[in-house]
Amino acid sequence: MPIDGENRAAKAPADGASGAIAFGQAPGESWLRTPMATRLGVIVLIVLFWEFGARIYNDADFMAPATQSFVSLLEITQDPEVLTAIYDMFWQLALAFAMALFSGLLLGMAVGISRPTYRTFFPIIMMVYAFPQITVLPLLVLLFGIGPAIKVVFGFTHGFFPIIVNVIAGAQNIDPALLTAAKSMGATRSQIYRRIVFPHLVPSLFTGMRLGMTATLLGIILAELYATRKGIGYFTSFYAESFEPQNLFALVAMIAAAAIILNELLRRAETRFGRWRG
Amino acid sequence: MTDSKIRIRLIQVSMFAVIFVAWFIATETESVSNLFLPKLGDVATDFRDLIGSGDAWSPLSVTLFELVVAFFNAVVFGTSIGYLVSRSKFLMRAFEPMFSSMFAVPLIIFYPLALLFFGLGPGSKIAIGSALGFFPVVLNTINGFGHVDAGYMRVARSMGAKGFPMFRRVLLPAALPIILTGYRIGFILCFLSIVGGETIGSFSGLGHQIVFYAESMLTSMMFAYIIFIVIIAYILNSLVFYLEKKGNYY
Amino acid sequence: MQQTSAITRNANEGSEIAIHAGNVTHIFGSDTDAQQVTALDDISIDVFKGELLCLIGPSGCGKSTLLNIMGGLIDPTRGDVQVGAAKVAGPMPHDVAFVFQESALFPWSTVVDNVIVALEFQGVPKEERSARAWNALEAVDLADFGNHYPGQISGGMKQRAQLARALSLETEILLMDEPFGALDEQTRMILGEDLSVMLSKTDKTIVFVTHSLAEAVFLADRVAVMSARPGKFKEIIEVGEGHPRDPDFMLSEKFGKMRNDLYGMLHDEIRKAVDGENAQT
Repeated sequence: MPIDGENRAAKAPADGASGAIAFGQAPGESWLRTPMATRLGVIVLIVLFWEFGARIYNDADFMAPATQSFVSLLEITQDPEVLTAIYDMFWQLALAFAMALFSGLLLGMAVGISRPTYRTFFPIIMMVYAFPQITVLPLLVLLFGIGPAIKVVFGFTHGFFPIIVNVIAGAQNIDPALLTAAKSMGATRSQIYRRIVFPHLVPSLFTGMRLGMTATLLGIILAELYATRKGIGYFTSFYAESFEPQNLFALVAMIAAAAIILNELLRRAETRFGRWRG
Repeated sequence: MTDSKIRIRLIQVSMFAVIFVAWFIATETESVSNLFLPKLGDVATDFRDLIGSGDAWSPLSVTLFELVVAFFNAVVFGTSIGYLVSRSKFLMRAFEPMFSSMFAVPLIIFYPLALLFFGLGPGSKIAIGSALGFFPVVLNTINGFGHVDAGYMRVARSMGAKGFPMFRRVLLPAALPIILTGYRIGFILCFLSIVGGETIGSFSGLGHQIVFYAESMLTSMMFAYIIFIVIIAYILNSLVFYLEKKGNYY
Repeated sequence: MQQTSAITRNANEGSEIAIHAGNVTHIFGSDTDAQQVTALDDISIDVFKGELLCLIGPSGCGKSTLLNIMGGLIDPTRGDVQVGAAKVAGPMPHDVAFVFQESALFPWSTVVDNVIVALEFQGVPKEERSARAWNALEAVDLADFGNHYPGQISGGMKQRAQLARALSLETEILLMDEPFGALDEQTRMILGEDLSVMLSKTDKTIVFVTHSLAEAVFLADRVAVMSARPGKFKEIIEVGEGHPRDPDFMLSEKFGKMRNDLYGMLHDEIRKAVDGENAQT
């Protein structure tokens, strides 16, 4: 289980040293020695390596240096077709994720709430989760064609599983004493769901959402790359085949950056909502 | 078996039975076109032919070759870089979150780059497999080596351990379970990304076979290959889980 | 709170000194660190050959730090330590063996392999290791469990295994940091009695850190009482009983009085330590 990030809470020292805390370092400590500086340094090094390595390699058909790619980033985002493709990817992502979240949460609660349903359905869910979905992508394309439908569907099938599995885990961990106490106070089924089960699930839900978002994006990109006609996948092939590597780099870098930002946002939400877990 | 266990098994089995029966009826009566959902009998026949004729072995060997090379790369680079990073708290604080964030990106988007550099052959699959397998390995190696219980190290130091004996007798055994988990996850990612790469752009390998038969509308053969891949995946996964457990002393 | 010199209160004058700690000060954290802590403040003590010296004091008084410094695991900020004639500059696997409270046996090796690897670290030739390891396990009555894993044996047995390992190294000095701290009272009593018996048979020098007043009086030749942080020596008491200690010693008036004296000395220090903690939070 790869470790997840660091504690980002930067404690501001009380000595009033202005600007000293920007990188999270202690008072008196040079900002050059903070891990943040190292990371920036590594990124700068990678970009420099990219820049000079590309120029040395000097094959404009296959390689483009960083500066050139950055310039083409500005260019390609002027292209209305590219903009449409980016916009399409985001609304497909939103729709697929919403579907995965809705169904994953509801079914997850239904399965996770009681021991018998858990023991019946969880093994099956895990079995399907382990199934390599990429093998049925061509089949799904036969069924759904190569329009937006296949992307939303494949995004949904990928995003659904991390969410439902985490919701089930969160529901299963509820202290039975809480449920007994609620029932003894006369709570109805719906009240139990709303007041006990659901709040208790929230941290696990956010974990599932973070993983589910990554998975949904993965599904959409896979569908894009396979079933290209227009869309990000189309453009990546197009730029590659027309030997415009700077555009390809720019596009890929942009999507990567978007994925990182989304993941970061969800990770922060997960930390914030998971605080009561200690 | 207790009463509830029997009931659970019954429900699970009947779920599969229902799907099976529905498929059978739909395909035999052709209420669903056989181009989408082939007859079960056809799939069975094609699967048998696949194994028997040995047609599957060539694409299988391509995929396995790509898998072995990619996993080897992931392990070598991931373990060595992970170990080096773990030697300094500073490096760990810098790189662990960085690798973690990079891992959050669906790295398959870099696959077009791999296709650009390596073409449609095994090279691009090995590249993307190595890249994806690298991250769980490096993250778990950093975690494993970097968070060895200080108590073990202190005891060993007091007895005169340092350098290679310290590594061999303390660091490595302490870190091994976590590192092996990283290898397992990395292996699975290698496999999935390689088959994915073969689906998206390739002229060989198991993934490509599925695409080929899909595009030729020979869906029963496509299903046969899907079953074949699932079986291979299951065998590989079981093997990897077993190896991981063997290294685990808890 | 007077700094009592180690020499004036003991009757071992003329005995060889096993460990000498001179003007040791230890500070954790740099001067710019908001959490800088002075663990030990200019303390000195001599540990005599063949004695069991107990270090006792409130939580956080630096007794474990002092032990680690004596054993060469930590370099003191100021001051020096000598073991025998040599100045301490790092771990001394041939002279000093440690016994810790926790996380000291490697869970991935069997009990006997734990002892064997210690001998390997020390530099014992390969042929001798196995025999010495099994002998050590027999001495603590664990030979039947040599091939078990630490996860399969009880807490008391784990500590006995650690003791066996320390003994197998055949060092002159044993430094023990609350070795029985995680065990239940009954096991503690038995292991304490066993330790006393062992002491009577060898001439090892032992420095023993503990929280338990009764344990200190029962086991020690001398008890060194430390103040709350920053650690200084408050008193050094002589127990004046031979080894092996009779279990009935615990019932005697002398025992009770010493224990009460210790309690009196410690109570204020413990209060200070707890109040200090509350002030920080």
